[in-house]
Amino acid sequence: MLEGIGIKTIDCIGNIGRFARFSGRTVTASMQTCLQPKTYPLIWAQMNTIGVHSVPVIMATGAFVGMILAVQAYDQLAGMGLEEHLGVLINIAVVKELGPVLAAVMLAGRVGGALTAELGTMNVTEQISAVRSMGTDPVKHLVAPRVLACLLLTPFLIIYADLLGIIGGCFVSVVHFGINSRAYWEFSARGVEMWDVLTGILKGFLFGGAIAGISCYKGFNCREGAQGVGEACTEAFVGSFISILAINFIFAVVAKAIYNTFWSIQPLL
Amino acid sequence: MKKQVQPDNGVIVVRDLVKKFNTQLVLDGISLAAEKGKTTVIIGPSGCGKTVLMKHMIVLERPSSGEVYFKSRRIDDMNERQLEKVRTQYGFLFQGSALFDSLSVYENIIFPIRQHHVITDWKAIDELVKSKLAMVGMDGFQTYYPANLSGGQKKRVALARAIAMNPHVILYDEPTTGLDPIRADIINELILKLQRELEVTSVVVTHDMNSAYKIGDRIIMLHEGKIIADGDAEHIRKHPHPAVQQFIHGRVSEEDLAALRLGGTKFKTQYTPEDFK
Repeated sequence: MLEGIGIKTIDCIGNIGRFARFSGRTVTASMQTCLQPKTYPLIWAQMNTIGVHSVPVIMATGAFVGMILAVQAYDQLAGMGLEEHLGVLINIAVVKELGPVLAAVMLAGRVGGALTAELGTMNVTEQISAVRSMGTDPVKHLVAPRVLACLLLTPFLIIYADLLGIIGGCFVSVVHFGINSRAYWEFSARGVEMWDVLTGILKGFLFGGAIAGISCYKGFNCREGAQGVGEACTEAFVGSFISILAINFIFAVVAKAIYNTFWSIQPLL
Repeated sequence: MKKQVQPDNGVIVVRDLVKKFNTQLVLDGISLAAEKGKTTVIIGPSGCGKTVLMKHMIVLERPSSGEVYFKSRRIDDMNERQLEKVRTQYGFLFQGSALFDSLSVYENIIFPIRQHHVITDWKAIDELVKSKLAMVGMDGFQTYYPANLSGGQKKRVALARAIAMNPHVILYDEPTTGLDPIRADIINELILKLQRELEVTSVVVTHDMNSAYKIGDRIIMLHEGKIIADGDAEHIRKHPHPAVQQFIHGRVSEEDLAALRLGGTKFKTQYTPEDFK
């Protein structure tokens, strides 16, 4: 039993080390890619696949989040006669937490799974070795464009999710529950600050980087065969999901500290 | 005493190469030199480490100990960035072709060129792709995707991609495996044709003896991580080592037969996946 624990611990530490090295190589390769115009077409292509094709599902996710919040929260607020405050609750939850996190989870499933499966298949069919054999760095050619596309486009996708979340929440609140539109928006404007919107969007960079980094790493290191690729996809999604939650928590703590220090004295400045 | 291989004995020189995967010894002190303009064929049973040896020649694998030289320069201790330049002088035909699924035949062939040159004259590139595909009898397939090609066609396109950069060395990993005898012979003829026309140094890993006799100037047999036979086709045919005779005639060993009778799974001549974990 002790031997088993030891082996698992060494394996785990080894994995962390390999991932750290891979991440380091990815950061270096991504910076080099940014400076080489001939690699831009690769980034555009990935932006199209990762970003543009994700817009409909991200919008649907955002819209449903807003609508569900309205349906669930209405009764509690209406019971206290505060139904006009529904907008604050929905919009702050959407822009600060639910929009970014659920959009990122959706991306981890849609984009992360696809990245792992694609690179995993390339790995088991020796296409990655073929890239190396032709004197090309596979991290630079395959990973960097995907990471950059994910990193740059996740914040924009979060904006779409937020927008549709706000519209969805408003639609249910105003059209279905008959809340006064003017009061709904006035309370929302008072309750939601630019800081809330910005932190939600900024998180997107971290979420995007984590999703792409973990998915590409799993694809590059997947075991042989269809089962190996399948396992890598599952591990990539679970790893991305946990990372999103962990990053969200750390970001919330840091953002709160920054807000308490600087944002509250903003009117004085 | 056997003469030690020197770095300038050939285009690719491997000296005292040892490769271990964890505790499993796969290559045990291999030394060989691939001579310029000649075809060296490496034979041996499946799983004996032929492909691992070939991957060391282009440093896709790093040796546990020993040295690899390319044009008298040691390359096994180079970093990946230094190796990128060296690898442009190689062409590598992978066993499964390893064509990029998402790219057309045309894009696959210009891939290595695009990586190392800024293309300004696209007409010249079109002509180059046409000529490389014509060499392997695949001109006209430029717009096809790998999924639309047969196994033999994929190998030929992969060969066209391997020669796209006019390499000095071509490494062929089981070029005829999985092909019917006629298509396998087409690939053999192609290897000979490229040899004549491009005067490249070739290293071929195979377990197809017809192919080995036809294309090999020199045949090397690997057995249990060591070289047990080295010479031309005639030398190999007459080699006294029982493992060589067993392999070239495709006979199953008494030990393997005994394992079959006992319902055993691990054959003497093969490694199992667990050995490489």
